[in-house]
Amino acid sequence: MFENRKLELLTLIGLFAFVVLFIIVSGQSGHEFAGSDDVGSEKIAELTGKPVDSFTPVIPQYEPPSGEIESTLFALQATFGGVIVGLVIGYWYGQKKRPVNS
Amino acid sequence: MHIMEGFLPWQWCLVWWLIAIPFLIVGVIELRSLLRKDREYLPLLGVCGAFIFILSALKLPSVTGSCSHPTGTGLSVMCFKPFITAVIGFIVLLFQALLLAHGGLSTLGANMVSMAIGGPLVGYAVYKLLKNTPVNIYVTVFCVAAVADIVTYIITSFELALAYPAAVGGVAASFTAFFVIFAITQIPLSILEGLVLALVFKYIIQLKPDLIEKLGVFSKKQIDAALGTPDAPSEKV
Repeated sequence: MFENRKLELLTLIGLFAFVVLFIIVSGQSGHEFAGSDDVGSEKIAELTGKPVDSFTPVIPQYEPPSGEIESTLFALQATFGGVIVGLVIGYWYGQKKRPVNS
Repeated sequence: MHIMEGFLPWQWCLVWWLIAIPFLIVGVIELRSLLRKDREYLPLLGVCGAFIFILSALKLPSVTGSCSHPTGTGLSVMCFKPFITAVIGFIVLLFQALLLAHGGLSTLGANMVSMAIGGPLVGYAVYKLLKNTPVNIYVTVFCVAAVADIVTYIITSFELALAYPAAVGGVAASFTAFFVIFAITQIPLSILEGLVLALVFKYIIQLKPDLIEKLGVFSKKQIDAALGTPDAPSEKV
């Protein structure tokens, strides 16, 4: 029965390995799991010798006032994607069940 | 891979914007003609775009002890080619720049060149290379997605290195520094992304093999071989 589910199995193994890696890495000290964007910005500050705060936006921009609001917006972004995927897959599935020429 | 607003000198912002704009224009033209030709492609376009939305919202932890997000552009570039992918990538990056302060309007050009243009282009090259070989199409999808992901971060490192050459060692030294931050973090994520997108692609060809065939992504023979049961409609979803 696993003949047709090889890819699912492989993806699960990949996910599992990923989680295990995360647990191992997070068990070690000294990892903050900061975003690589921020780490990159710090590197820029280090290379230029200017503090991170001295980099001000060239074009003024809206910034989410807190991490909470930011996570809401990220969740909305993913939800939007998820809704579309579910909608389309469901639409195709329905089409397949009921052929147009019947 | 976002370069934050203000973190790129305006000269470089201009350079990357100038590179990105032609892709955007050609992409919009291609998109319009594609949708005028056949509305049937709209759902597939939605799925490809939706995966860029979902995957680029997920900040995943990596072995280096920092977090980063996959890009999800591999699916779109295979089905709709690089120009249309540039348009979808632009929309996602614009959303994140305007509402999330991830990236910014001035650095949007640079972020487009890495995530919406460069990564997908290299992924597309991989697809072209593997397309007419006996390689299983899931393996092809895996490679395209993973390569598009990792190359995005390599280009980001390069963009930052060009703008901020190290005092000692110049562009090469600072490229290495950024590469360690961005690209090494990204290796496990890109493998995971490749697996997930290959799985998604499996479901797409189970449901709509004709669409993939009509777009010329893969031949009927390749799709049937991947599904394992030629001519027998698969009931597994």
